[in-house]
Amino acid sequence: MTEQTELKEATDTKIVKMIVFAIGVQEYCIPILSVREIRGFEKTTTLPFAPPYVCGAINLRGIILTVVDLAVYLNVPPQTDNPRRVVVIVESKNGVVCGLLVDRVIDMADINLNDVQAVSEDGSCLGGLVLVDNRMIGLLRLETVVGQLVTDTISE
Amino acid sequence: MDDILQIFFQECDEQLQELERGLSALSDGESEHETVNAVFRAVHSIKGGAASFGLDNLVRFAHVFENSLDGLRSGRFAPTHDVVKVFLKAMDVLSDLVNEARGGATVDSARVAESHAELADISGTGSNQNASQAATTEDVIPADFSPVPMDFEPVPADFEPVPFDFDFGEEEAPPAAASLLVTFRPHDALYERGDDARNILIGLADLARECDGEILTTCDRSALPPLADLLPDKSYLSWQVVLPPAVSEDNANAVFDWISEDCDFSIVREGAEAAAPQEPTIEQPEPAEVVAVIPPVEDHEAPPPAPTPSVAHPVQILSPLPAPATPDAHPGPSPAGSAASSTANGAAQTAARKPEQASIRVDLHRIDDLMDLVGELVIAQAAIESLSRRTDAAGQHELVQSISSMQSLTRDIQDAVMAVRAQPVRAVFQRMQRVVREASSMTHKDIVLTLEGEDTEVDRTLVEKLTDPLTHMLRNAVDHGIESPEARIAAGKPAEGHIVLSAEHRSGRILITIKDDGAGINRQRVFETAVKRGVIPADAVLSDDEVNNLIFMPGFSTAAQVSNLSGRGVGMDVVKQAIQSLGSRITISSIPGKGTTFGFSLPLTLAILDGMLISASGSTMVIPISSVIETMIVNQSDVYALPDGSNVISIRGDCMPLIPLATVLKLSNSPPPDSLDASVILVVENESGARAALIVDEIRDQTQVVIKSIESNYRQIFGVSAATILGDGSVSLILDVSALVASAIGHIDIKPSNIRAELAA
Repeated sequence: MTEQTELKEATDTKIVKMIVFAIGVQEYCIPILSVREIRGFEKTTTLPFAPPYVCGAINLRGIILTVVDLAVYLNVPPQTDNPRRVVVIVESKNGVVCGLLVDRVIDMADINLNDVQAVSEDGSCLGGLVLVDNRMIGLLRLETVVGQLVTDTISE
Repeated sequence: MDDILQIFFQECDEQLQELERGLSALSDGESEHETVNAVFRAVHSIKGGAASFGLDNLVRFAHVFENSLDGLRSGRFAPTHDVVKVFLKAMDVLSDLVNEARGGATVDSARVAESHAELADISGTGSNQNASQAATTEDVIPADFSPVPMDFEPVPADFEPVPFDFDFGEEEAPPAAASLLVTFRPHDALYERGDDARNILIGLADLARECDGEILTTCDRSALPPLADLLPDKSYLSWQVVLPPAVSEDNANAVFDWISEDCDFSIVREGAEAAAPQEPTIEQPEPAEVVAVIPPVEDHEAPPPAPTPSVAHPVQILSPLPAPATPDAHPGPSPAGSAASSTANGAAQTAARKPEQASIRVDLHRIDDLMDLVGELVIAQAAIESLSRRTDAAGQHELVQSISSMQSLTRDIQDAVMAVRAQPVRAVFQRMQRVVREASSMTHKDIVLTLEGEDTEVDRTLVEKLTDPLTHMLRNAVDHGIESPEARIAAGKPAEGHIVLSAEHRSGRILITIKDDGAGINRQRVFETAVKRGVIPADAVLSDDEVNNLIFMPGFSTAAQVSNLSGRGVGMDVVKQAIQSLGSRITISSIPGKGTTFGFSLPLTLAILDGMLISASGSTMVIPISSVIETMIVNQSDVYALPDGSNVISIRGDCMPLIPLATVLKLSNSPPPDSLDASVILVVENESGARAALIVDEIRDQTQVVIKSIESNYRQIFGVSAATILGDGSVSLILDVSALVASAIGHIDIKPSNIRAELAA
């Protein structure tokens, strides 16, 4: 609740603190307020009928959540041997918690939403692109990712 | 204040339950005094509480209700079927009014008025001349009774008409020497609680009338200040009533049962001191005169919602405890002991309570049991600690022993905690009475719902989740199951339909059945409708069971016309989903002309389950042990291949499908090995008794697992009901055996029936 209001306030001022992470050679960011914690990648439990981008389930202090391999999800070659792969635990606005497996977390950035260049695709997981220190960073639409995770129907 | 209001609503819920219980006892023909009293008490408590919160609507209705119940209590009319029916209806209105006061939907005022009229009607017709007169006077001046608001009208006239209604007593001859002298002086609290001195006078008058006597009432107005000084919310009047000699003291005492702590009263047999104190003994009632000062009894009267002043300063109430010992005559705001203790109680409750319904009432002995076990746990833990310091072999052995005793202790504690969380299904079941009542009056059918096994206990989370599906199913039973009275008579059945809702323990689960004696499912019509709606092809050949199950299809309805209740085709599929989410499946059995039975079984708790740890293609999974029948090693000669590539196995002559778990769950891509010889299988069974054999890699262990939802952060997975966390912290999936079996049987069973049908044709 407070998180949302804070987010709203942040949106009003148009400056949002984002966490920037790398997947392959690409960089993406998500609002830092949706991040619960960052933890090392550990063995996951395979889930039946899971889409390929779902690594499996892990136990976060009694809550069971699924880990999404963003590399597979975004169709980027993953760096499987990277020891810095971490799971960013995020909570979506409707309370769904899931983990995003990323290659490494880079830093935090204050992003002015006015600088974001929209991409044309509707319903895509990419909310837009923004230039920070001459690096092109994609804005990841968390709700899209999580929404797909929860509602995707499995084609058998 | 809001907190107190919450407590009041909680109490209302309890009182309404009590009321429901009492009324159903009455309708079953138990018209004991205690039952009637309990019913009366419930309504009275609601009224009293509502009055102190100024919930006008509620008070007004409760008052009328109470008056009619009073007629029942004093035996003016008998609790006949019709009377109880009116009461039940009134109860529904009352509970809706409570709901309205809580901020729920507004109650249709026509309904209130209708029930109001019916109540007035029965208290009028069933009684004799005098009583009906009393009843009518009551009803003529309902505005006279406006408890809280009245207090703010600065006109004492509101009080005055009251005694005059009963002044007829004064014209009678003076009472005999041994007549009973009752003196009473209401406290302010009496009026605050929405009661009225008039009710006492009515009660006393009724007593007198029973003995063919009259009462002589004197109102003492000496304490009444000039109008200018009059405080509207203070009590100034007291009364002296002379009852005929035939009235016993006990009976007179009973009149004060409800209000003993809210007024000073004395009941004296006028004997030697025939010259009874003419000037009322308000200021100092001589202690000797006081025959009965009934100490406030907690149980007897539901704790009145505490008056605001004492709550504003909760510290105050802790000190003046000697008060209830002596009858205090000063009109201070002192509802004495019970209020004080209940406020303290209430304060404790408030502290622990978050939103609605977050507190439960638990039997004390269950808490005691739990406490004992925790004590043992502490001892066991100390033992393990000291043993772990020893290094010798004997110490090691003892350590293992005490760990295993700790294990059983843990299990006991778990059971004890479950017992604390367990609640009888009564709360839900009794609500169903109302559902059936309303549904049957809407469909103009005469239906009796019989409850069985209401004391069966289940986890409270389950109790709450049962309400919706049961409501749907009962409505359905009323609307579709039971025929119209004419049709029933034509079929040679009693016009009155019967529905039995029962709960029972069966092998670690709760079995709930809903049984009606209606026409049964019209399979022909269900089939035709399904074809018409394109649910099944017209040439489909279905078993009876499959036809029955068609009613769970979304959007399915055979009702010829859409009624208020059902026929819109929403409902049974929702029911099915709800029941499935509770980990069960509905079974239907229906005999044409005899009725339909719906049944489903529920786990005792949704939190913990006994499971068998198995592994398949590298994943460890849990199978609920309750569904495992046996485990064995396959002998290739028992396996038969089917044309579609699946296998069946014959175990002691029973054929069942073989389910290669890893393949079915798409965990491995490699095709199952050609030879199944020596693979490990688990024979599992679903609720309806269908069996299948699961092929697994190995059986690891048997353990208790805590059920964790997987759907809260993910979607539903076929074949998986939930997940759990194993000892090493890893996640493991709990398999949904019913779904697996159902899918395997779907593969195999329908085809033979098709073939059979072709052969038959």
